[in-house]
Amino acid sequence: MSKILIIEDTETIREELKTFLNTYGFDTKAPTNFEHIIQETLNEAPDLILLDINLPIFDGYYICREIRKQSDVPIIVVTSRDNEMDELMSMNLGADDFVTKPYNTQILLARIETILRRVQGSSMRDTLVYNDLKLNLSNGSVTYQGEKAELTKNEIKILSCLYKNKGKIVSRDDLMDFMWNADVFVDDNNLSVNVTRLRKKLEALGMEKNIETRRGLGYILP
Amino acid sequence: MTLKEYVKDRTVFLLTNFILFIIVGGIMLLVGINSQTVLLIFCIWFCPLILYMWIEYFKQKVFYDELTSITENLDQKYLLPEVMKEPETVEGKALYEVLRQANKDMHEHVKSYRDRENEYREYIETWIHEIKTPIASTRLIIENNQNDVTRNIQEEIKKIEEYIEQVLYYSRSNNVSKDYLIKEVPLVDLVRKVIKRNSRDFISKGISVNLEKVEGTVFSDAKWLEFILNQLIGNAIKYIRERNGKVIIHTVRNEHNIVLTIQDNGIGITEKDIHRVFEKGFTGENGRQFGKSTGIGLYLCKKLADQLGLGLTITSKAGEGTKVSIIFPLTNVNFMQ
Repeated sequence: MSKILIIEDTETIREELKTFLNTYGFDTKAPTNFEHIIQETLNEAPDLILLDINLPIFDGYYICREIRKQSDVPIIVVTSRDNEMDELMSMNLGADDFVTKPYNTQILLARIETILRRVQGSSMRDTLVYNDLKLNLSNGSVTYQGEKAELTKNEIKILSCLYKNKGKIVSRDDLMDFMWNADVFVDDNNLSVNVTRLRKKLEALGMEKNIETRRGLGYILP
Repeated sequence: MTLKEYVKDRTVFLLTNFILFIIVGGIMLLVGINSQTVLLIFCIWFCPLILYMWIEYFKQKVFYDELTSITENLDQKYLLPEVMKEPETVEGKALYEVLRQANKDMHEHVKSYRDRENEYREYIETWIHEIKTPIASTRLIIENNQNDVTRNIQEEIKKIEEYIEQVLYYSRSNNVSKDYLIKEVPLVDLVRKVIKRNSRDFISKGISVNLEKVEGTVFSDAKWLEFILNQLIGNAIKYIRERNGKVIIHTVRNEHNIVLTIQDNGIGITEKDIHRVFEKGFTGENGRQFGKSTGIGLYLCKKLADQLGLGLTITSKAGEGTKVSIIFPLTNVNFMQ
């Protein structure tokens, strides 16, 4: 489990961000005392840092620079200052990414995952497993009890969205939104076609109970 | 200044002289001085007078003509007192002094307004950064407590964000050059980003989007472009009223420019309104019928596009849809690779 350190002085954001990241399977730490923030950060040895710029005592730029002197941990700067200069400055000080508030949480999550995948090597986060069904994101294939099938880009996106919401119903709108955010601008009909094809492929693998349609609600991977 | 005007200005002076001469000449004739002598006196009286006026006319003409031409050529006409030669005549000097005084006072006045405006602008920007924190918290709270209620709140929050962004760009729109960073902007990335920002609206209204023919790279400020494009795409979504809505985005590369066009099949704009859509506060027929129109969006887009050196054109047919094009000129700065 990857550990994310949240350096943020607004209490609501700190707490809600913790809850949010916990639900997506991250271990989180969020210091509340900023006096020895740099030492504390280094002691925690997180896998990734979410860093605000406007902080009491030291500002984010300073913290970023000081951490960089001693560690290569990935840093994502999260701030409400949104001009290009701040972005340039953050990058120059060694931040890995720059996200402006109020951020789209899914985008924040995607950036975190991208950076972690890059740092920790591709193998760790590229395979999703659920009920014997293995989805390999790097070569776009699914494996079920030894049988293997190739998926198209759209099918991979649909399946990975359902994976993320294991056992929960995903509404059509949410599923489409997920795909749009991954640059696949499907329309309603396309989505139905893609889901049907995906279902057939999974059936061909011998997986009898796969994606279910809940009328008026959406899809679910039971 | 023409001779006629000059003479007209001195009518009283000349008339007085003539009347005086007629009186003096009349008396002289009455007392029996012969008419030749009177004529001689006329010449002695009037020749130097006319000559003097002639010279003065030319002097004044040179002075005022120079003043007029300086004023015409000056970009900022209020700089005249700094540029003009100090006149030599008494009246000229007095006027020059008054002009300088007035100018100085005007400068101070303008400065106080400028300071006030800057202060206000800075306040607005600080306020916007501050309001973003509670909005970010709200978004996270919604994310952690997903249900129908919070989903509705999220929609409203998105609207609030859009309005806030509009305020930010409005306050910045008067001096774009202050935070302006020209970068290489691949149009397809920009368009995708904006589509994603509006994905919820597209999906919930069942609007399909087509951006297969978007290509090319321009040099411009990515943030400002994103704002403009977001306004335009937001409008397209807003004015699609029926199912089967379509938004088609494509680029055309011409010899001197790249044109990015956003086309929708919404309600369109009537012919009598179309020429006024870029006016500040203009809402037109659509604004009256559907409300929720502030008349700021397109005005701001046009203003920002002008400052970025981009063209913005709009064509529409009521009932069939609207086409908005951003024109990126291909100059030394703005070329495609």
